[in-house]
Amino acid sequence: MFTAAAESFLKQAREIQEEELRRFASRVASLLQGPELGPEAVDCLQRLHLTVAATKYPRRLDGKFVELLQTVLCSSKCPEQVQVLCAAILREMSPCNDLILSCDQIQDTKLLSLVSSILLAQGDKKGEVAAVGQRIVKVLERRLPEGQSARYILPVLSNVISLSPESLTEEQVNVVSKKMADWLRYASTQQGVAQPSGGFFSSPRTKQPGPVTEVDGAIATDFFTVLSVGQYHTQDQWLNVQAFSMLRSWLLCYGDKGLKTPKSDDRSGMDKSVMSTVSTLPTSSRLLPPKERLREKAFEYCQRLVEQSHRRPLKKDDADLQKACLIEAVTIMDIICKQDSSYVHRAASFLKVLHGRICGDATYARALLPIAQFFLNHSKVAAVDSDAIYRHLLTDIPAQLFHNASLAFEFVQFCKANSQLFTETSSVFRQSFPNLFKFLAWNSPPLISEFVDFLPSLLDAGTAIEIFHLLLDLPCLTAALDVQLRSAALPTSEKAASDPAVPPSTCLEAFRHPLYRSMFQHLLRAKSTSEDAPERLIPLRQLLGSLASSPRVVQCAETVPVLLELFFKVVAEFADGPLINQLVVLLLQRSDQLCEIPAFKDDVYRVLSSQLVVLCKLHPALIVELSTEILEFSGAVSNIQNKEAIFTHVVWAVGEYLSVCYDRRCTVEQVLRFFEALEAVLFEVTQLRPLPTTPGYPPRAISVLMATLTKLAARSQDLIPRVSMFLSKMRTFVQSPAVTSVYQEEDLEEILIRATELLNLLKMPSVAQVVFTPPVASTRFQREVNNSLPCALRMVTRLLEPTPGFMPG
Amino acid sequence: SRQVASQCRLLQSSSARPLSPQLPQLPDDPIPLQDAPGGLFQLPPGDPFPERVTVAWLSVVAIALALVCDPQENLSLAEITLRRLAPRLLHSLHLLGPGADVLLRPEVADGLLDRLLPHGEMLFLNQHFLQAVDREL
Repeated sequence: MFTAAAESFLKQAREIQEEELRRFASRVASLLQGPELGPEAVDCLQRLHLTVAATKYPRRLDGKFVELLQTVLCSSKCPEQVQVLCAAILREMSPCNDLILSCDQIQDTKLLSLVSSILLAQGDKKGEVAAVGQRIVKVLERRLPEGQSARYILPVLSNVISLSPESLTEEQVNVVSKKMADWLRYASTQQGVAQPSGGFFSSPRTKQPGPVTEVDGAIATDFFTVLSVGQYHTQDQWLNVQAFSMLRSWLLCYGDKGLKTPKSDDRSGMDKSVMSTVSTLPTSSRLLPPKERLREKAFEYCQRLVEQSHRRPLKKDDADLQKACLIEAVTIMDIICKQDSSYVHRAASFLKVLHGRICGDATYARALLPIAQFFLNHSKVAAVDSDAIYRHLLTDIPAQLFHNASLAFEFVQFCKANSQLFTETSSVFRQSFPNLFKFLAWNSPPLISEFVDFLPSLLDAGTAIEIFHLLLDLPCLTAALDVQLRSAALPTSEKAASDPAVPPSTCLEAFRHPLYRSMFQHLLRAKSTSEDAPERLIPLRQLLGSLASSPRVVQCAETVPVLLELFFKVVAEFADGPLINQLVVLLLQRSDQLCEIPAFKDDVYRVLSSQLVVLCKLHPALIVELSTEILEFSGAVSNIQNKEAIFTHVVWAVGEYLSVCYDRRCTVEQVLRFFEALEAVLFEVTQLRPLPTTPGYPPRAISVLMATLTKLAARSQDLIPRVSMFLSKMRTFVQSPAVTSVYQEEDLEEILIRATELLNLLKMPSVAQVVFTPPVASTRFQREVNNSLPCALRMVTRLLEPTPGFMPG
Repeated sequence: SRQVASQCRLLQSSSARPLSPQLPQLPDDPIPLQDAPGGLFQLPPGDPFPERVTVAWLSVVAIALALVCDPQENLSLAEITLRRLAPRLLHSLHLLGPGADVLLRPEVADGLLDRLLPHGEMLFLNQHFLQAVDREL
């Protein structure tokens, strides 16, 4: 992590013992009390800081020494570097009981800022935050002495209100609001002058500074803002920047009418009523109370910023700031409108125009989010039709800008913040959910936890099936997006549609191939569709398999199992019988139609197989209702190798739930049909004369097949002889040389033991029936009984064949 | 919040997830910060901060920097602030060099943070204001 030198310093610092630290501290103390604070003092303080900071547990320094640090810090002769180091050490030791610092007497604003940083780190056990807040406001209220600037203490105030807004009284809030309004609106529009460098040869007369300019070089004709440009800056221009930087949190804290604080005056009640009558009348802003006046100035400031953000900056890096300012301005306007709805009409028309200007420009895309949020919050009051804004946001932006990671993140946050909109079936929000998955497909690692939060809002009976397919195809979506991007980057000459007769050899070719075009379009669709034919994507999935090793595709594939589990968890809460049936059928179908990524398929099978069991438990009748599909699936021997997890769980479910207890429509013929199908499979799998090319089958599958056949026989007792004969042949199977060479010894032993247990159970048909046809488990105890089937089997076996010395408990 | 920001710088380089398709292998070239990988992610409450936070991160060769924000803060500005802090920190503390300035010169880091992120507050500084800050440092 660190360089070798740094690692060794860190280690040394951590290993310093208390005694050595004490000695070092006293050495530092003597240096600090000396006449001059030179490089040696600096060096020692630096090492002391590292020692204190390096350990997770707090280091103890002598109380007298801590006091000395504070004295040195506040001493007027102390060089700045030493001051900063002392402050750093004191902060590192927070919370510190030996603190005697108080900001009450400090006049120097830089020192006040340093001391405040220490006090604010103490955890506010002694009301330090309020004390700092009070002092800052006091300093701001009065005229500052020459050479001092409020610039250094304004951020302290911002910190104070975020830690503890009650620190300020209503009166103090008004004082600061008034100043902020002035700073925002009336900062100088002339450039500052360079600080005179002094010295013998410097001329006292400096060139007259010119007016400030806009970022594009034009002379500014309106008031100063953060987007105003000057070579040097005056103090009030700095305050303008600072005031805007803290404006949002200030308004959120104090902008609403009537902040009730324990320290507010009794007059506050009267003030409120005066304020409320004033705000509805158009009046000169000078007569407005401070909060309302600040609101007015802030609104104007934001409007001006919006206008300024369209200018083409001379310095490229200012372009980024313009976008950030735009976002901030729109957000603040939204806040202002929430606090005073009389601004809504002005803001709405203004922002509609803004939207029209920027909606075609990809570099402004992030600003579309606060604009949309504004209209979501206020369009009713504004009586503005903002559907076009939402539509553009949800259909065009994700499709074009899914690869912009920051936009993707903020977009998903926006969706989460407005998740209730996605539950309304006919809304444009809900319709566009396929588009939203593009963000996740491309930017999986940061967005997976956001989607885990957001997915439940999207899921209901109407969307479940489509989302199921979407999740399974998510890695293919990533691959398709990659192809789309690469295709867009090609020169136009290579973009012509390719010959339909020639099959494409690469994904890029396929993108332009007429036959594959519609497949891509379906995968990359922006709107939800009820069309449900996942098998038509099979050729595309196979082709996209060539991108299976791309890191982005792999990252996306890793998110799918998590989302699938969440999907089923949510769906289980509302799904009815028909939906569960639909899902099971699709589950079996899609097990053949997955993106060709090996680890992905295994993980998906694992999740699907366990969720299949959950669905069966919810709706056991599905075994009977879907008997055709399940028979087809469990009768295919190839499924054992390719999809062992799913196969095993399907067969297990048949054994558990194919019973008249779960569905009265379960006939003897049905049981027989399943029995014969599974028997055929088991027969094929356990052939006594396998060919050299016959692979070994998963032992778990063999066990489950045997168990299920036994269970079915227990319910339909004329099948018992068939099963018994089969089971007794297992000994021969397990011992045959062709088999022992392919299977593990422990596995074969397990199979034999299981076969024997089942065989023994069948010798007592009535017991078998009870064991294998338990009532629907409604209590936890009963469910545990069901789950302990292997134990039950072993108990029964022991009862039938008592080993010497075995005493039944 | 300044404390948190500097803590993060040291502790969270592991959780900044620079999972980009390719990692540049050019330690000697001038640092192309425009293309430096970066991103945004959220941390749920309790892990490790008591409230939900959003983290903006930036990775420059072997160093990652992270800025921890409240979820409602201006994330565009957070990214800009990071991109401004990174080269200045790298340069002043010689972060890519063999020394241990980052550990032994806390006042340099504090000074930079005090100007560009005073008391944890992000500032809307245009290029000229930024130059003024650089002159003061």
